[in-house]
Amino acid sequence: MEYGYWIKTKPAYSNLSWVKNATRHIVLAEGAGGLAIIRMYQEQPPAQPVSVHYVVTDQDRHYAQAIIKVMQVGSLHIHTSVDEAIAILGTELSSAYMGLRLYLAGSEHMMWQAAKTAYEHGLSYQEMQLEQAGTLARPVYCVHCKAITPHATTNIAACAGCGKMLFVRDHFSRQLGAYMGFMIDAENPGDLPEIAEVYP
Amino acid sequence: MSQNAMNKIQVIVSAIHQVTPLVKQFVLTKADGGNLPTFSGGSHIVVSLNIHGRIHRNPYSLMSSPDALDSYQIGVRRQEQSRGGSVFMHDQVQVGTPLEVSYPVNLFALHRLARKHLLIAGGIGITPFLSQLHDLKRNGSPYELHYAYRAPEHAAFTQHIKTLAGDDAHFYAESRGQTLGLAGLLRAQPLGTHVYVCGPTGMVNAVTDIAQSLGWPPGNIHSEQFLAPPIGSPISLRLAQSELEITVPPEMSILEAMEAAGVDAPYLCRGGACGRCELEVLEHDGELLHYDHFLSDAEKYAGKKIMPCVSRAKCEKLVLNI
Repeated sequence: MEYGYWIKTKPAYSNLSWVKNATRHIVLAEGAGGLAIIRMYQEQPPAQPVSVHYVVTDQDRHYAQAIIKVMQVGSLHIHTSVDEAIAILGTELSSAYMGLRLYLAGSEHMMWQAAKTAYEHGLSYQEMQLEQAGTLARPVYCVHCKAITPHATTNIAACAGCGKMLFVRDHFSRQLGAYMGFMIDAENPGDLPEIAEVYP
Repeated sequence: MSQNAMNKIQVIVSAIHQVTPLVKQFVLTKADGGNLPTFSGGSHIVVSLNIHGRIHRNPYSLMSSPDALDSYQIGVRRQEQSRGGSVFMHDQVQVGTPLEVSYPVNLFALHRLARKHLLIAGGIGITPFLSQLHDLKRNGSPYELHYAYRAPEHAAFTQHIKTLAGDDAHFYAESRGQTLGLAGLLRAQPLGTHVYVCGPTGMVNAVTDIAQSLGWPPGNIHSEQFLAPPIGSPISLRLAQSELEITVPPEMSILEAMEAAGVDAPYLCRGGACGRCELEVLEHDGELLHYDHFLSDAEKYAGKKIMPCVSRAKCEKLVLNI
C-alpha cells in the first residue's frame, strides 16, 4: 500500500454534532456510541425536538445511566436489540417532514442498516451523520453467496453464509451497507496468507 | 468550425399566440422539416436575434412536451426595461421568421431519486415547469405545482396547467390577496422532497433561504433564473491571448463585445447560470461586478474569475485570459 492510498467508496466518519437549522433530530446509538449522545448533550442540548434511541449492550451498560442523567430535553427510548431500534426508527421516519437530521453512532453494521432504512424513507446521506464507535469491525458482503457477515475483525474472514475465506476489501457499498469480500484462496484452496485482527 | 457553431439549429416560427398582454408563445419548427433534438423537462434553448446587425442571444425555457419533437415552444415575456431581445421577439418576429437556436441544455432537471417534487413558479418562471409536468406525469412521480402571479390577466398558461396537473396545481393571484405561504409549505413536505423554484429574484431567494433555514439540505433545493445582462458603464477590455483591445459599450455584455470583435468565446446559457463562459481575470484596476449565480461568494471576492455573459467591471483596465 502506498502513501495516501484511499478508495473513494470507503466511508469517512466524524464526530456527531447537532445541525443548528434542523427542525427535528433523531439519534440512534448502540453500545459505546452512547458516549456520542452524552458528548452532544454536554456540548449543548438541541434547540429542536429530539428523540434518542439507545441500544444497550452488555459491556457498555453504564452509558445508559449517564444518558438518562444528561438528557434534560428530548425523549429517550432504550432498546435491547438493534433490529427493534431500527424498526422503530422506520416508523418515526414514515411520518416525518423535511428538515429532520439523523445521527448514528455505533458499529458500521448497525449504522449502515439504519442508514439504509432511513434512505428507504427518503432521507439522503446529506441528512445523516455517522460516528463509528466501539469497534472497527466491518460488515462484509460475500460476492459469491451474497451473504453479509456483520462484524468481521480480521483482514481475511470466514463468510457467515458459505464459509469461504473472504479477503475484506476497502470497496464499500452504501446500498448493501457492507465492504466487498471475495474468496482469497480460490486458485489454491487452503493456501491462506497470514490472518490478522486489523479491525478490532 | 467555431466551437459554438456546431450546436445551432435553424428553425422557422410557425405560430405565435398572444397568451397574456405581456406574454407571447412562439412555436418553432425545424427549417428543413423533421424532428427537433430530444430534450428533458426543464431544458432551455438560446435564441439568436439579429437586432440592427448586433446578435443578441437570449435563453428561453422549452415549455412543450418532451414527447412532441415536431416543434419547440417558448414563452416570452415582454421586458421593456431591458436591452431589447424580448421586445424584438414581440414586435419584429412574425410567423415565417427564420431563427437560429442552440441545442437544448438542461440546467434545471428534475432529480430522479426524489420521492416528491415541489415546483414553485413566479410569473413567467412557469415555463420550465410546463415541460417538466409532462415528465412528472409520465413517470407517475408525486408533485405539487404552486404558481404565483401578479394578477389573473397576467397569469400565463393557467388553463393548460389545469388540464395537465388538475388538483396538483395551486394558483395565487397577488391582486386578489392570495399569497403563497412558503414557510408553511416547506415545513410540511415529506422526507425526500426536492424543491424547484423559478421566478423573480425575490422569490428564488425567499424559497432558497427559507428552505435552508428549515433544514433542507442544499442538494434538495434547485433554482433557475436567467439574468439579462445589465446595462453598465463602458469597459476597456484587453484580451491577452487574442491580443485585442476592445471597448464594451454600456448596453452590451462582455461576451457579446468579444463576439462582435470576432472572438470565439465559450458560452452555454448566457444567463449567469451554467458557468461555461468562465474566464480568468489576469488584471484589473477597479471593481468586478459579478451578477452571475455560478461563482461562489469566495470566488467572486477573490476576483480571479468572471462570467462575461452577465458580469461587468467598474475599472479603467480589465485583462481577460482568452
